[in-house]
Amino acid sequence: MKPELNRRSFIGAAAMAPLLAACGGAPQQKQKVGTNTKTGLRAALPSYVPSTSVKADIASVTGSGGAVTEPAFLSYPSGGIATVQGVPGKGGSYTAVTPLWGTVPPANNSFYQAMNKALGATLTMKPADGNNYDTIVTPMAAAKKLPDWIQLPNWWNAKFGTDRLVGTQLADLTPYLAGDKVKKYPNLAAIPTGAWQACVWGDKLYGIPSFSTNFSVPGYITYRRDILEAKGITPDQVKSVEDYMNLGKELTDAKRGVWAFDDVYTYMGFAWDIPLKWKVEGGKLFHKYELPQLLEALDWHYKLAKSGYLHPDAIAGRNADSNARFYAGKVLISGGGAGGWHLADYESGVAADKNYRRGAFDYISHDGKSPGRMYMGEAARIISYLNINLKPEQIEECLAIANYLAAPYGSAEYTLINFGAEGVHHTMKDGVPTATEDGKKFVQASTFPFLASPPLVISNPGADQVTKDYAAWQAKNVNALIKPVFWNMNISMPQQISLLETSQAIDDAIKDCYHGKKTVAEVKDVIDSWKKSGADRLKGWMTENVLNKYGTGQ
Amino acid sequence: MNEGLTRRDRLRRDRSLLIMVAPAVVLLLIFSYAPMVGVITAFQYYDPLIGIWDSDWAGLDQFQQLFADSRFWHALSNTLYLSFVQLILFFPIPIVLAMLLNSVLSERVRNFVQSVVYLPHFFSWVLVITIFQQMLGGAGAFNQWLRSNDLATWDVMTNPDTFALLVTFQGVWKEAGWGIIVFLAALAAINPGLYEAAAADGAGPWRRMWHITLPGLRGVIVLMLVLRLGGALSVGFEQFLIQRDAVGHEAAEVLDTYAFYYGIATTNYSFGAAAGLFKSVISLLLIWGANKLAHSFGEDGLYRK
Repeated sequence: MKPELNRRSFIGAAAMAPLLAACGGAPQQKQKVGTNTKTGLRAALPSYVPSTSVKADIASVTGSGGAVTEPAFLSYPSGGIATVQGVPGKGGSYTAVTPLWGTVPPANNSFYQAMNKALGATLTMKPADGNNYDTIVTPMAAAKKLPDWIQLPNWWNAKFGTDRLVGTQLADLTPYLAGDKVKKYPNLAAIPTGAWQACVWGDKLYGIPSFSTNFSVPGYITYRRDILEAKGITPDQVKSVEDYMNLGKELTDAKRGVWAFDDVYTYMGFAWDIPLKWKVEGGKLFHKYELPQLLEALDWHYKLAKSGYLHPDAIAGRNADSNARFYAGKVLISGGGAGGWHLADYESGVAADKNYRRGAFDYISHDGKSPGRMYMGEAARIISYLNINLKPEQIEECLAIANYLAAPYGSAEYTLINFGAEGVHHTMKDGVPTATEDGKKFVQASTFPFLASPPLVISNPGADQVTKDYAAWQAKNVNALIKPVFWNMNISMPQQISLLETSQAIDDAIKDCYHGKKTVAEVKDVIDSWKKSGADRLKGWMTENVLNKYGTGQ
Repeated sequence: MNEGLTRRDRLRRDRSLLIMVAPAVVLLLIFSYAPMVGVITAFQYYDPLIGIWDSDWAGLDQFQQLFADSRFWHALSNTLYLSFVQLILFFPIPIVLAMLLNSVLSERVRNFVQSVVYLPHFFSWVLVITIFQQMLGGAGAFNQWLRSNDLATWDVMTNPDTFALLVTFQGVWKEAGWGIIVFLAALAAINPGLYEAAAADGAGPWRRMWHITLPGLRGVIVLMLVLRLGGALSVGFEQFLIQRDAVGHEAAEVLDTYAFYYGIATTNYSFGAAAGLFKSVISLLLIWGANKLAHSFGEDGLYRK
């Protein structure tokens, strides 16, 4: 069951790889294409029983488009109450693989031991490099050697073939969690319905969502608040892309090694109303590649690159160093992915510049005339799955463990999972759990929360300003969030169709354009050839199998 | 040479050589020959979740798509162009370096220089390119110096027109030192008595180089050239992958990055396999042709029957 890779099996695997792959598909299941039906989805979803164990210092705000800001906490709740009685496990042993963007902690370390003791089961954590995670999972799946418990982030669903792994290699959790059955696991029941929706395929529930949020955004345009404020610049002054361009002129001082911008295309494009993938206008479906506003947006970005306001290292594609440039004040405005505005960011920033303070601009429309907008992402993007070969009692044991891992913010379990054992991995200083050296080494590389976690909250013990800033920004922008078409719908498509959905050639051309190496006209040529080479087949398939049958899901 | 010897006698005679080569053969069998079964996928619509047996047959469809793709032909011509530039500008440098180093009399100086030029070989491409970016990039030391003196800047790191020169320069900086090893070994094998005799007959340094050193190196040079031609379609992968965004994908696209982006990265594995197989077949033909050519010049080349 365990995907142990030792020296012997490695050599075997190298030689046998093609043959292993060949042995793959014993019972070839007919792929069910399309998406979930309304009634099927409703029957599969768990009931929602929100947790009331802790009260937020800054309460959530609901936006007009259905988004809800994350509750924020300024102080860490003291004397956290346990939400799970006894140990959840029954002595079972399971292997779990999760992505980790950071240094992999040593196996069997004191934190893992403490967790296993608290869980009453042996969970062998095998975190794998997050940057290459997509290439690690596919061979395991091809060889039918997925671990007992695996994390499959949903932005790689097409690559993993998640829609085809469910039911063939991943266990159906509907019989355990659908409807009121979830109440057996109160912490899982406190995960909002939208997050569970991202775990349903073919009207059955397969996944367990982590880091769920109703304020799911791809990102924002972030800036050095300390530096811009000193120059008297506030977000209220930036209402259109023209304002951004003017800021570029004002802030760039190349002689001093300071440029106004890092790459912003990924998040600025929304100002032109470029969707994540699809858009429906007048009842007709459009792919983002064929929308005229894409070219308009690119034109602006091309000018930005040519203007000299974009940092040369960004033009050279050195994205890995973009945080370092930002901390050092070499760039002042940058694209920021959601989830990057937190305690660790603050600590890194302050280490480089003691005045460091991150801010984010409000969502805008490109001309500043219509209200700002941003498309919401799925309510959960980090989803874990159990292996289909587990026996029912083993699945129940894992779900009990998941229930423990999903204990709400501030509970005794949450403290152990996120800060380790007191006295060993953290000490309480002024009511703030502060990591010890062992804590930094073993606990801070987050692993268990990738199997299950409570809904996201904003909390940065020891850096309340960060919490206040981020919560205030969310509240100010919550009305800008709108649901895109096919929101939270898991769509399963035939492989040959899914290959058409993204185009490496267009993505390359777009990148070259916003780095000033390709004109908009050249991008348009690449898009035109994509249109000729099967885009209609993709659109036709989507219209017939998804839009006409299930609607937009908005 | 083998006349009169039975296979058994030859086995006995070469026993130690065969034992020495065995691990390498085993390694090749496991990591190079056995996985070759996977080329079948180039003739399929391969889906890793279904497996090789059950994936649909595509016949030559993947190859038809490949040959119909203008980006593929661009990647091929770009690869050949880069390979040609490197052959002209890179290939002679280790030979010249080796001869220069060989002429240095002080052993201490020679060892020092040798260590310094070896060192970059052990750097990863990520590091090498970071160093280049820090020095020559648009915000690098050189351009900041130009800016501070109110001079026009020159960002060579993002210029697609000079990219071939840039990657060759990076290659020379990183690998030229390492490349001299084999030539130094060949130089050491030249009988010093020849130089002494030539000098006694009044031959100057140039004549000695022309009539003794270069002929002494000829076999190795031809061997390296054969290998180089065989690898003409493998100009490197990481170096281009890392700098692809910097100069735009057109300047940096080589066959290996093409197969990666249009095959593996987009999960179109069969298409990637077809591109890879095409590259391997051409490389095989190249190395065979280069070897034949070497024979016609009277050299051993890579192998001889």
